[in-house]
Amino acid sequence: MSRSLSDDERIALNAFVDGELDAREATVWANRIAADPDLAAARDEIEATRAAVAALDRPAVSAELLARIEALAAPAPAARPARRWAEGWQNIAAAVVITALVASGATYYLSAPRGTAFETLVADAHRRSLLAASPVDVLSSDRHTVKPYLDAHLGLSPPAPDLAPQGYPLVGGRVDVFGVKSVPTLVYRHSEHTISVVAQPGTTAIVAPKPLASGGYNMVEWSANGFVFTAVSDLEPDELLSFVGDYEAAASSP
Amino acid sequence: MVRAPSGGRTDRPQTRQALDQDRAAELFRQVVVPHLADGLALARWLAGNASDAEDIVQDACMRALKGIDGYRGGSARAWLLTIVRNTAFSWLARQRSSALVMVGDLADIDEASAANTSGGADPQPTPESELIRRADQQMVAAAIAALTLPMREVLVLRDVNGCSYKEIAEVLNLPIGTVMSRLARGRQHLAALVRRAEQ
Repeated sequence: MSRSLSDDERIALNAFVDGELDAREATVWANRIAADPDLAAARDEIEATRAAVAALDRPAVSAELLARIEALAAPAPAARPARRWAEGWQNIAAAVVITALVASGATYYLSAPRGTAFETLVADAHRRSLLAASPVDVLSSDRHTVKPYLDAHLGLSPPAPDLAPQGYPLVGGRVDVFGVKSVPTLVYRHSEHTISVVAQPGTTAIVAPKPLASGGYNMVEWSANGFVFTAVSDLEPDELLSFVGDYEAAASSP
Repeated sequence: MVRAPSGGRTDRPQTRQALDQDRAAELFRQVVVPHLADGLALARWLAGNASDAEDIVQDACMRALKGIDGYRGGSARAWLLTIVRNTAFSWLARQRSSALVMVGDLADIDEASAANTSGGADPQPTPESELIRRADQQMVAAAIAALTLPMREVLVLRDVNGCSYKEIAEVLNLPIGTVMSRLARGRQHLAALVRRAEQ
């Protein structure tokens, strides 16, 4: 009574076992299998084969292989063409960041939160926030929610204008901790990009925005309204500068 | 001061280049590193042994880092597996061209299919499936190695790597229908090979 299955039947049975049929088709095939012992036997065989392959030991990624592969992506300043470093303070600053990364341990960052290592901390905080379930502690596009939250937690709050009309809706705010300092951070979105604005209190200086880069992110740093701001994002440098222009214009207007 | 490609750009080309390298390294860590185990498993079954697989994966990672700009979102795993597969083929062709049997189209599979399943193609009752389920690892591994490459790679991508049909189609650059028919045949052959080995 046992018959040979057609190719189409076999393909459909495999797709059924793999959960690749849509709900309607899956129901049709479940009924057919229930009514046909040949189909049921073939289904059993497919499941058994699948299970036997899945049960095989997988080769483990050894620590040694992982180290070799991570070394591929590690910064290697010596290997880069020398002339690239000869021009511009930004390159020198970048060289300092990389040298600091290579030469120093974590204590360096913790004991010296200002200077080039600070950008690294900001980049790390931004990256962590993107990897977390949500980049913000308080989710709100309403600045009247964000400001009181930061105020209640830190006793201070930076300007938090909603820049939705300019294309940068306010997502919310979070508290970043750098060393022993807790710092308010505002989060904006621009299409698919997230922008973190870290606001350190305690300055009276007015410093014009200047572009920086660290840890694979672009940054703009400036001082105004009693804060030193660092905006960090994967936006292009000129786009990030344009965001900072809009932020400053909105923050400084009454 | 600098030949900027468009007016108003504040970044200099050489800064951009350095930035790109940092970004490439960062992307590499996020896109490639999480899927190394999958890459290694695929390489192991394409190469036939674990030590060659490590060399292939390292080679593939170098290519992935160089071509990280080519990653356009989507399944990072499928992207890496595509590179691992290509690397494995050029690596195997270099190392020992005779060991790699390239089977081009479905006509070849049909022939292989006819040869492999003669006598074993009839649906088996459930006790036979139990036999397959209990087969030891070595036997199953030998059976996978005996599959023709087109069937083996589809089967490994599905049952070892756990890729969806869509991901497999992406990695192999094949229509999804071809993936489905190769997988069906591959499993059928594997079952027949294991049963034969157990008798």
